[in-house]
Amino acid sequence: MQRKEEFIKIIKENEGIIYKISRVYTNDIEDQKDLYQEIVFQLWKSFDSFKGNSKFSTWMYRIALNTSITYLNSQKRKSNQVSIDFELLNRVEEYDGLIQERIDILYAHIKELSIIEKGIILLYLEGKSYDEIASITGFTNSNVGTRLSRIKLKLKDEIIK
Amino acid sequence: MKLEEMKSLWAEMSLKLENQKCLTDKLILDMTQERYVNKFTKIQMYESVGAIICFAAALIIIINLGKLDTWYLLTFGIITIAFLILMPILVLRSIKSIKHLNLTSNNYKETIISFAKAKKNLLTFQKAGIYLSFLLALVIMPVASKIFNNKDFFNTEHSTKFWIVLPLFFVGLFFFAKWGYRSYQNITNSAENILKELEN
Repeated sequence: MQRKEEFIKIIKENEGIIYKISRVYTNDIEDQKDLYQEIVFQLWKSFDSFKGNSKFSTWMYRIALNTSITYLNSQKRKSNQVSIDFELLNRVEEYDGLIQERIDILYAHIKELSIIEKGIILLYLEGKSYDEIASITGFTNSNVGTRLSRIKLKLKDEIIK
Repeated sequence: MKLEEMKSLWAEMSLKLENQKCLTDKLILDMTQERYVNKFTKIQMYESVGAIICFAAALIIIINLGKLDTWYLLTFGIITIAFLILMPILVLRSIKSIKHLNLTSNNYKETIISFAKAKKNLLTFQKAGIYLSFLLALVIMPVASKIFNNKDFFNTEHSTKFWIVLPLFFVGLFFFAKWGYRSYQNITNSAENILKELEN
């Protein structure tokens, strides 16, 4: 029971991260809810394997991003999904109109990127250092730098369009 | 919006999210239970039902193998049995390899590579299955005719209706296969593109 309580505490502390990851990798709110649950489920399933050797956030990003890669966006809805409170995925609506619009544009630009780039830009925006990005993604430090430069160019082109 | 602007907007949004705690203990506990069906589990369920049907059909042919009394009927029978047993096994094995990817210890790059490869494998088998279904449709007719009607397909007079329905069936199968191939091709291409991008 203590383990569960510990897990609940950690998830509560990091729920925003799961929200952002699930939004980047999905195209609609139903898929987002679905991926959100799948990430929490995978985190719980792997929770015993977390030994505390690495930072919890590094471990969590790794599992959440890996789960997102293997997630298939669907056209059909499932009936046996845990009912997530709508507020959970609709919280940014509390922003004022202009910020909301900019956030939507921001997500739209990220969603245009490839699956490899999505992971890297997400970690970059989360304020992770090149070392941390390299450790989570498995790319070398210099490769992370190269890919980020390419992403910058790509985003610039997108924005100009 | 430049990347730096994106970063500051992201930070602003993150701060807001930090202050909006929405998860309850019950909700988290609910999510730790496997109460929803993972999409690959769903695909596996459909494929398993298909596999059971294929195995049952193969078993019927095996039991009636003695009825296939000419070399060509026996050959067709063996080809059909091999198709009905091997294809579902190969597809189910590919799905299993996707479902059992190590999401805990693999890093992002490793997961992308394993997933793209496993997906490509699965789609290759499914694509092969589409092509082979033409062959199966051809070879299963004489086998079924002998087993269920005790008639040698090649030494039996067929009605005009049969000769009308048969080409129509193959035309239908052709369009179905073309549609299926195109869908699979798109997904396989996307898996290949990811692998290519990783090489850069």
